[in-house]
Amino acid sequence: MIALSDYLMLGELLFAIALAGIFLNRKNLILLLMCIELMLLAVNMNFVAFSHFLGDGAGQIFVFFILTVAAAEAAIGLAILVVLFRNRGTINVEDLDMLKG
Amino acid sequence: MLEDYLHILIFLVVAFLIGLAPRVMGSLLGPRRPGLEKDSPYECGFEAFENARMKFDVRYYLVAILFIIFDLEIAFLFPWAVVLEELGLGGLIAMVVFLGILVVGFIYEWRKGALEWE
Amino acid sequence: MGFEKFLFYVFAAIAVFAAGMVVTRRNPVHAVLYLVLAFVSSAALWLLIEAEFLGIVLVLVYVGAVMVLFLFVVMMLDIEVAALRAQFIRHLPLGLVIAAVMIINMVLVVGPWNFGLDSFAKPVPQPEGYSNTTVLGLDLFRTYLYQFEIAAVVLLVAIVAAIRLTLRRRANTKHQEPSEQVRVRKGPERIRLVAMRAEAVPASVPRIGSGPGADPNDAKEQGE
Repeated sequence: MIALSDYLMLGELLFAIALAGIFLNRKNLILLLMCIELMLLAVNMNFVAFSHFLGDGAGQIFVFFILTVAAAEAAIGLAILVVLFRNRGTINVEDLDMLKG
Repeated sequence: MLEDYLHILIFLVVAFLIGLAPRVMGSLLGPRRPGLEKDSPYECGFEAFENARMKFDVRYYLVAILFIIFDLEIAFLFPWAVVLEELGLGGLIAMVVFLGILVVGFIYEWRKGALEWE
Repeated sequence: MGFEKFLFYVFAAIAVFAAGMVVTRRNPVHAVLYLVLAFVSSAALWLLIEAEFLGIVLVLVYVGAVMVLFLFVVMMLDIEVAALRAQFIRHLPLGLVIAAVMIINMVLVVGPWNFGLDSFAKPVPQPEGYSNTTVLGLDLFRTYLYQFEIAAVVLLVAIVAAIRLTLRRRANTKHQEPSEQVRVRKGPERIRLVAMRAEAVPASVPRIGSGPGADPNDAKEQGE
């Protein structure tokens, strides 16, 4: 039988990997965004697991809204990334040290 | 309930095996005699100047973004369509408001010419 | 160990492996593809605990749209990967230490002793004819109606922001405008008649061709 703790530990493992990824790829903006997506996936995993084991549908609704917001966030984040690349020719985070765009 | 997904699981496993089989067979059965001449670039002997990857145009990206938005809208429409009979008029009005807000965005992108392919 | 548990471990292993590949790949295209793998195996895991609708939405919306968007951007920006990877090794110990601390910390909290089967029993499977989509839809449109409309506003903001940021007209592109072309009236808008004198050809120049069109004296403007 699958226990709740299995899902929680899986979600936590994914979250830790994504966190390590943010430390490893801290210069590449695209990979940072992808690590954030991975983190959101880990959080969603926890929500779905709790929703199933507590018999409460609200967790799944919450995941649905998280997916919506994450899609909007990805769209805007990547739009900013594209504009940044167009203006600066780089997506290295360390080069982005001027307030004036 | 879960037994209904057994077909999909079998399908996934078969698909994986079919994808794997040609690679394994190719690496097992194919003759391999690498050599300096054989591995060097064939055409004209130039070293590659730059990355072979081609840059995409930014407009593909805009279309992809707009696709995401309306994809999510469809994802919201599915549960609504399933329970519409139980919701009655209130559900219809709720969805009309939802679609109305998105249509504002649609009109905006139309007027801005984001859908035009120059 | 039941078959379900076995499936859970298989898909969980795939998801963790794919996540590990995402953060370590050199090529961002490979990283995106591994992220797709992580999402697909997560969708399978959600199917295992009866969140069918969300599993499908994850595949449709996330794999089908968001990851494709990431792929577009990765292909669109011609990034030199080497410069971005320069300090990869330097941050490796710090990242690993933090990840390890977090894993230990969280396992102590969410491990089997706190959230195991004896504290949270496996719920009985849903009966035949139960629809996850129906339950979710009823909940969504009765209890969370306001949040649902807010989601529309969030999507609207995303549309406007994306267009505002990335849309840029090019000054010197040449393109047809079919609507303008169709609207042209027959007559003065379609062709302009220019009155000009026929050029006289010196007799010494040999004629080229023999058709009536080749004769310069015949090449007058043919009006409608």
